[in-house]
Amino acid sequence: MTATTVPPPTPRLVRFRQDHGWTVGVGLLLVAMVALRAAQIPSFGGFELRSLTAGTLMLALLAMAQGVVVISGGINLAVGALMVLANCVSAFLMEGQPLAACLLIAAGTVVAIALLSAAMGWIVVVSGLPDIVVTLALHFVFVGLALVVLGGPGGGTAPEFSQLIVGGFSNPWPALAWLVAIYGLIWVPFRRSRAGIALYAIGSDRQAAFLAGVVVRRARITAYLLSGVFAGFGGVATTALLGSGSPEESIALGALLSSVAAVVLGGVALSGGVGDLLGPVLAAFALTLIPAILLSLGVDSNMAVLLEGAIIIVLVMLGALLETRRRRE
Amino acid sequence: MPPDEALLSARGVAKSYGSVVALRSADLTVRAGESHALLGANGAGKSTFVKILTGVISRDAGTITVAGEPVELQSPADGYGKGIAAVFQDPALVPDLTVEQNLKLTGTDVAAVRARLADLGLGGLSLAERVRDIPLPFQRMLDLVRALVHRPRLLVLDEITAALPADLATLVFDVMARHTAAGGSVLFISHRLEEVVEHCARCTVFRDGRDVASFEPRPGSEQRIVRSMLGETVGHLAEETAGARRATAVPADRPPRLVVEHLSAGRSLRDVSFAVRPGEVLGVAALEGQGQDVLFAVLAGEQPARSGRILVDGEELTPRHPATAIHRGVVLVPSDRSVALLPQRSIRENIALPSRARVSRWGPINRRRENRRVGEAVERLAIDTRAAAQARRLSGGNQQKLTIGRWLAEGFSTLLLFDPTRGIDIGTKRQIYGLVRDLADEGAAVVLYTSELREIELVCDRTVVLYRGEVVAELPADAGEEAILSAAHGFVAQPEEVR
Repeated sequence: MTATTVPPPTPRLVRFRQDHGWTVGVGLLLVAMVALRAAQIPSFGGFELRSLTAGTLMLALLAMAQGVVVISGGINLAVGALMVLANCVSAFLMEGQPLAACLLIAAGTVVAIALLSAAMGWIVVVSGLPDIVVTLALHFVFVGLALVVLGGPGGGTAPEFSQLIVGGFSNPWPALAWLVAIYGLIWVPFRRSRAGIALYAIGSDRQAAFLAGVVVRRARITAYLLSGVFAGFGGVATTALLGSGSPEESIALGALLSSVAAVVLGGVALSGGVGDLLGPVLAAFALTLIPAILLSLGVDSNMAVLLEGAIIIVLVMLGALLETRRRRE
Repeated sequence: MPPDEALLSARGVAKSYGSVVALRSADLTVRAGESHALLGANGAGKSTFVKILTGVISRDAGTITVAGEPVELQSPADGYGKGIAAVFQDPALVPDLTVEQNLKLTGTDVAAVRARLADLGLGGLSLAERVRDIPLPFQRMLDLVRALVHRPRLLVLDEITAALPADLATLVFDVMARHTAAGGSVLFISHRLEEVVEHCARCTVFRDGRDVASFEPRPGSEQRIVRSMLGETVGHLAEETAGARRATAVPADRPPRLVVEHLSAGRSLRDVSFAVRPGEVLGVAALEGQGQDVLFAVLAGEQPARSGRILVDGEELTPRHPATAIHRGVVLVPSDRSVALLPQRSIRENIALPSRARVSRWGPINRRRENRRVGEAVERLAIDTRAAAQARRLSGGNQQKLTIGRWLAEGFSTLLLFDPTRGIDIGTKRQIYGLVRDLADEGAAVVLYTSELREIELVCDRTVVLYRGEVVAELPADAGEEAILSAAHGFVAQPEEVR
């Protein structure tokens, strides 16, 4: 048979840059920011590290919760509310309980929130309404549920539980370890599975995915299920960090907006199908560091909010510019 | 199984979308070891049939059996288990995934795909590549190899050769020959008659949602195929729309309004040249996907050209944006009304939009002048204004009149019509034909692409025929549908035969 000229494969280095360039970029940015922060504080140590890891754990998990739905070509405006609901339910149930019971409650909360989120995905798929509408409506429902459960700030947890999840000043590592565990034990294997590939497929080209035999509805619901798992963990981590629950809409809203910012900064395309969850996780750390660094630089705290927004926009635009130049090559 | 027995047997397959009948009642028999071509003009129902066969959509009526067993595919993936594997017209490889991930998605054995590729001389294709980075022809080959690895009894190839260069197309025919020699069957859908005649043992022609003929194509049967596709409908519409066409000849001495020179663009458009004079309606005839969409997009300024020139009244036009083209009087009426209109706004606002969009006029809008121009356009087009408040409440025909009307109010010198009567009732069609002729008589140059060949004869003065992105023929409008359709299938008869 005649030999046909086959297009040469993309060089490894180019492909690595295409696949992981953005994530590496965010990673380098984060390293630079940590170095800057360490230089700002001469005694950078356990206290700083613990506030960084524990303080970012919730946002990192929410970035994952948002990222997984965005990769599938959708959006979940209820991630913040799901997190608040998980926080309030777990704080309500954990109050006065020993460590073992707290762990069971935490696991149960994560499962319940995941199922709730999957149900939300089911409504999106079956109703045919835009996901943005359904998830926004349910955002309010979930915040309402949290208020019904807890009535107001309250609840509690076992101190050992807090130690176990977010550690302390002498032991700043648990939060990071949990994050790595959730990422490595849930997301990485899932991403490599057929269901994970299907998630990327429906985000990239729904028609092609359908023709390739992907059950699009099931894959979309899976994305919301996973989103619920991460948001549930985020809520439980908040309970461990604060030792209580806060059924407040403003918290849910702030968490939601930060999750979208982290996803965009983390290199996940809002159009779906492109990106990984590592980028949003790293971006979550960067987003947590920006205000702290600005305040240490002596920037007025009101001005810092403005600067924070400007920095996010500039970074994303810079990334998009590099991306466009790459496409043209 | 004896070789003559039917592998695939479809009886009375039907499908309607609301009141639109896509497939009335189609029968198709494909024998074991046979490569069978499915043919038909646009809208004959062959795509619908293929979609039903491969489980993309469900049917309303009819039975389909494979080797005597009834088959009811719920989704495209079901086919593999029933011995049907398809290469779809639309790409079924997900662009942001690597080839390997795509194969995993369909549960395809990667090693077997590698072996098949090597067998076809395509072993150099990297499966770690992202599909997005692979040229389209090789994507089609990967699609084919994926289908083959599932060892289908019936291989469905829907327009696979449309995107392939000659060497890869030859490879596809080799694959078909080997597949049928081994006892498998192929259902081959192609617009290229020479391929059908050369590589298919049988063909079935669909027309108006029914199967109308089934025979063995031989060299020389092209005319028979074309006649089967056209049937007795020739002249039918002509009666109903009598009077739309006007006999006056276009003054040949006037300089051309729009000149296209060696235009190439996108993947599909290659070295296209033609000229249109004021007062002339130039038809563009082509089957689906021959580059006509790219041609119109370039002329309207939606897409840049790769090479070549566009001249309007002798001056070069290099539109970067539709606004540039519109400013020079080149305006587009697309077939999809929803793209052009603001569906929730009023008729008035829709007509006034282009003039409001003019950057040169910043001041407040002169309501009285706007009203007058809108009123004139509405009256001229006989738009039913009962639904004046929202354009989306208008019927398809009235919506299309509205998209023409907005340019009427704005003024133009060259009108690009891309399949303007798709899905429009006959009465409104007649009005649109009349309007197009009137506009030409008033001095506009008109370029009309239509998927209904009979419109060429009714409305146009001349037609160019596009085939695989190139102009293969330029014919007078009265050359007859047969000649046009033959050319559109890449079968250009000798000039004396045509006339």
